[in-house]
Amino acid sequence: MIEARAITKRYKDGTLALDGVNFTLNKKTTSIIGRNGAGKTTLLRILSTQLLPTSGTASINGLDVVKAAQDVRNIIVSIPQESKPINYLSPLDNVVLYLSARRMRMSEAKEAAEKAIKTVGLWKVREKISDELSGGMKRKIFVAMAIASKSDVVFLDEPTTGLDPLSRIEVWSAIKAIKGQVILTTHYMEEAQALSDDVLMMDKGKILSQGKVGDLLKPFKGKVRVESTKKKSHSYKVGNTYISYIGKNEAEASVMVGDIIKPITLDDLFIKRGVELEY
Amino acid sequence: MNLNIRYILAHGWFTGLAAIKSSYYYIIANLCLPLSLLFVVGVLSHGELLPYALAGGLVSMMVTNSIQSAGELTQFRLDDRHQDLIIATKTGPLDYMFGEMLGSFEWSIPSILLYLALDMSYHLLTPYNLVMTMAVCILVTVATLSLVFSILSFVKYTRKSWAISMMLSTLLTVIAPTFYPYTYIPKSVLFVLAILPSTPAAVLEQGLFGLEPMSWLMLVILLAETVVYLFIARYVARWREN
Repeated sequence: MIEARAITKRYKDGTLALDGVNFTLNKKTTSIIGRNGAGKTTLLRILSTQLLPTSGTASINGLDVVKAAQDVRNIIVSIPQESKPINYLSPLDNVVLYLSARRMRMSEAKEAAEKAIKTVGLWKVREKISDELSGGMKRKIFVAMAIASKSDVVFLDEPTTGLDPLSRIEVWSAIKAIKGQVILTTHYMEEAQALSDDVLMMDKGKILSQGKVGDLLKPFKGKVRVESTKKKSHSYKVGNTYISYIGKNEAEASVMVGDIIKPITLDDLFIKRGVELEY
Repeated sequence: MNLNIRYILAHGWFTGLAAIKSSYYYIIANLCLPLSLLFVVGVLSHGELLPYALAGGLVSMMVTNSIQSAGELTQFRLDDRHQDLIIATKTGPLDYMFGEMLGSFEWSIPSILLYLALDMSYHLLTPYNLVMTMAVCILVTVATLSLVFSILSFVKYTRKSWAISMMLSTLLTVIAPTFYPYTYIPKSVLFVLAILPSTPAAVLEQGLFGLEPMSWLMLVILLAETVVYLFIARYVARWREN
């Protein structure tokens, strides 16, 4: 279980990245969603003992991330955003090196690495140098590290950013094989929807909402999203597009040439809250 | 201090001997400058200063490999985010640097063997020299990598690190008395240059090979620099940021 109480982070340049956030995360997989600069990465770096908070406390399974950082490091894995495997090493060597950093014995590390590499579907390329692998395969090396470490809590910072849709689905399958609690940040709403039991929505260093995907989408029940180039009543302007949320029947009855009707996804929560905050 | 020996050995192996197979051309590239200068110095001095270039070439090669390793750590920090991955484990900055130093030393083994063979052919090597030369190689690797790692810790973009590495490489391998007798420069200049680990290392090598008077003071300086630069590197490493 992860708990944060009044966590604030102000960088040396004055930027307020986190503004007194409070939450409890106890579900198997939680996605932290938010726009660029929302504070997702800062939050993950504090929870994974890479960054000190300005004030507030956070704990992982009862261990304080500041006072008991070394003990926290025993039970977590943190995969940074845009991390790349060491390009001249094979997937297997990358995982073994990581496990040795976790003080695992070499024989044990090799065995655990082989098992994890099989689990994420990289067995055929286990000896190839990582430079020759696709983007999706490279990301799967990090998921293999998380699996092989058998950690209680795994932090994944934007694990699929920049990947094509097929690679993304492959990485999702690999993430689902992680046994510990998974906390991931993403701005792909379908990723949060596909993987999480719990969603934490952030903007400008604050938590906007938290809950199951279904619960968060309750305000949209029975509605669809209509994207139009013309202004409609109660519509939100995003760029040159007007977005409105109306009942399905009403939408079909009032549809105009050029309108697009879409089913509700987490994107809509993101758009609605984001626009409301912006304007 | 509870060092993570497993990690140091694994990092050393994977970035050292194991990496030679896939990146052997870097060994040749890193030998180009010292071997070219060996040739130039030999031609210009009609062979007279060749032993100096042999003594200094070894130091120059160790320094070049150490700078390259510090550059690799910069890439690990800025581009690959490998350092962030390691920070969230129980491995500390000293383990991380010692691992890279071991890798850098292992990486240098083929070139060390080449230089030792050349030294033997010029009758410069004795069992005592060999042991002392190895000690100098280890010290200059630790001191140089720590110094360059510390400087590059302040760099925020990899491209800047390339330019800084090039400057440091010239300072450490050409300006320092690696390819010329240290007695050619005034003592005051020598002591200014002694801030660069390659200077005491080259002076020691020239003394060990009987080319110039032995300066034990330079051994003290090299030892002190190794400890001080390592200490600085430990504290400027961006391990857990504020």
